[in-house]
Amino acid sequence: MTSRTRAFAAALSLTFLLTACNAGSTSDDPDPTDGGDSTADGTAAPAGEDTVRIGLVAEPASLDFTTTDGAAIPQALLYNVYETLVKIDQNGEMVPALASEYTVSDDGLTYTFTLQEGVTFSNGETFTAEDVVSSFEAVTNDWTVSLKSQFDIIDTVEASSDTEVVVTLTAPSNTFLYSLTTRVGAIFDSNSVDELATRPIGTGPYTFGEWNRGTSISLQRNSDYWGEEPYFDQVVLSYFTDATALNNAMLTDGIDVVGTVQAPEALSEFEDGDFQIIEGTTNGEVVLSFNNETEPFNDLKVRQAARHAIDHQALLDTCWDGRGTLIGSMVPPTDPWYEDRTGDYPYDVEAAKALMAEAEAEGVQVRLRIPTLPYATACAPVVETMLEEVGFDVTIDDLEFPAAWVEDVFTNADYEMSIVAHVEPRDLGNVFGNPDYYIRYGTPELRALLEEADTGSEEVQVEKMKEAAALISQDAASDFLFLLPNLIVADPDITGLPQNAITESFDLANLARG
Amino acid sequence: MSGRRLNAPLLIGGALVLLVVAMALISYVWTPYEFKYLPVPKEQTPNAEHWLGTDRSSRDVLTQILLGARTTLFVGLVAVAVAAVIGVPIGILAAMSPGWFGQLIMRGNDILLAFPALLLAIMFSALYGGGTFVAMVAIGIATIPAFARIVRSGALQVVNTEYVAAARVAGRGPFAIAWQHVLPNVVGLVIVQASVSFAIAILAEAALSYLGLGTPTGEPSWGRMLLESQNVLHRAPHLAIIPGAAIALAVLGFNLFGDGLRDYLDPKLEGR
Repeated sequence: MTSRTRAFAAALSLTFLLTACNAGSTSDDPDPTDGGDSTADGTAAPAGEDTVRIGLVAEPASLDFTTTDGAAIPQALLYNVYETLVKIDQNGEMVPALASEYTVSDDGLTYTFTLQEGVTFSNGETFTAEDVVSSFEAVTNDWTVSLKSQFDIIDTVEASSDTEVVVTLTAPSNTFLYSLTTRVGAIFDSNSVDELATRPIGTGPYTFGEWNRGTSISLQRNSDYWGEEPYFDQVVLSYFTDATALNNAMLTDGIDVVGTVQAPEALSEFEDGDFQIIEGTTNGEVVLSFNNETEPFNDLKVRQAARHAIDHQALLDTCWDGRGTLIGSMVPPTDPWYEDRTGDYPYDVEAAKALMAEAEAEGVQVRLRIPTLPYATACAPVVETMLEEVGFDVTIDDLEFPAAWVEDVFTNADYEMSIVAHVEPRDLGNVFGNPDYYIRYGTPELRALLEEADTGSEEVQVEKMKEAAALISQDAASDFLFLLPNLIVADPDITGLPQNAITESFDLANLARG
Repeated sequence: MSGRRLNAPLLIGGALVLLVVAMALISYVWTPYEFKYLPVPKEQTPNAEHWLGTDRSSRDVLTQILLGARTTLFVGLVAVAVAAVIGVPIGILAAMSPGWFGQLIMRGNDILLAFPALLLAIMFSALYGGGTFVAMVAIGIATIPAFARIVRSGALQVVNTEYVAAARVAGRGPFAIAWQHVLPNVVGLVIVQASVSFAIAILAEAALSYLGLGTPTGEPSWGRMLLESQNVLHRAPHLAIIPGAAIALAVLGFNLFGDGLRDYLDPKLEGR
């Protein structure tokens, strides 16, 4: 796939993910307890069975992620209802799922997957290699979302037996195997793909229960699951349009878990009560992005000055309540090529002023054009003050998200600086490797490193990605404010919650009451 | 004029209005700190260094309240100016145009009156980008009908008086009559309405800023302070109470002032 389509795919999913994070609407509070109504097919939990209720924001628009973008659908269904051949675990490592093992040919072009046996779909059909073939071919042929382009690199998919699938690529790509852990890698029953939008059928630890539009989605334990059966009979995902309503539901025992706490300040509401607070990491790097193409940030010294000017710990403490991780580059700690790069540009006002003087940029006017999202509006005043301290003249410019921000900053690159969380996994290449992306970086040196990383062996990939992360940090292509935290509040007896939000799934498989 | 007396609403309202004006004026010569992130603990309660505490971005609250008074007055002035400059001539025109034309103006006015002011402001923000000025022009436009109606009713009484008839007979044109006879007689009504509309505009700006559609990030506004304190309400309630009280007092002040002024100026209430 070309870097342009990749960027577009990233852009779209970025848009939707960020929309999902945007709290603050004032809609009515849906009744959080209303998840267990009986249905004609008897999927609701009978009284007395153990149910866990999880509160989330942003209900999916449809249940069919083959035709509908957005983070909410895979969040609910991936790994829980639909499974993939390989998946990413809580430590960021790739582990087997429907494929018990896989081998890669020496030229990196042929992947051979050995499938789990004795796996059935929730409609009773047996899982075979044909289902993998039809699922993968459907991505290219039938899917309509832009993410489908991730499979453009596939040359052929063949079932060499009932339990073995061979995938050949047109070029070596480490990104391919990773993409199998995301929604494009989901395996559908080849005979029942007509009702994806309303009746998802998969092989996962849960079967789809029902969807009360505007309120909740319920998932039932799959008693025929091939792996370890989940603890809960039923999981109810309750959707709230408003972070305050979500938190209030938790405080009043309307739900058992807040899946994603939207504002870190809200945690102090739970600190005194009988709750457990879980803080993990995400893939959401909050980037102070520079327009590398235009004045003044086309000058390395100015970019370096800006990086030296930010006191990252103070900034994190002030605008995100100290929750989050300082990263220093575009890599979260759960990626295999993570290195702590926070030392590249330590907070140093004098060094920043000297660089500004060398660049003859004192008093330079820059617009900080931010999306109207909580982290951006909270951090912008702090960034403004810190940059003005070293000689920038900063004007904050609020742009409504997504419409105005996507148009002005993202599409037209009409900006000098912005603050935005890039929440896609492993998005260093998408964001910095493409000279047409709004950061306007994509130097040949970086592109060469990314190319070597994607086509080389696993070791080469890790090594080259480390070099790429070091390069964008040292070249000050942007500043990396912090990594968004994953914040979960839960009843104290709930265990097995996914601490790190580093996949597209809210993985419910290990949930238990302990 | 002799029967006019100062009354309590006028005095209390006047005092509150003066207070807001004084805060805005003081902010031009003095604020305790700059309006920016300070290297001090955030969310401080009122203390000797920060008389009203610091907000969630470690900015001084008193500084923001003083600077916010400017924004508050600015929005009131813009909205009222837009509404009065357009609404008053419309009202006079409607009063002086007998028959279907006058009716048409007033029915159009009614349609605008039926349109919610905040919705109009949100629409304007979407069309012309956010910002205080755009929002206030929208609020001003939504306030036009209030001015037009009240001016028309006042003007109707005037156009039926004998001295207007005499002026007509003397060959004075309609513009001269409007300017020399009608307008001076409705000025009192306009001033009263302006004060009440001022209060409405302040409230609208606060509401819009609270929704993130009014005053942008990094600019001082009482409504924005409410927005920014929302997430810390449970642990730093003073950050919402202080701007909330400021908005309430300003709105109360302009409303009382308008009420008091009406009583003071209304000749029918004379001597009562």
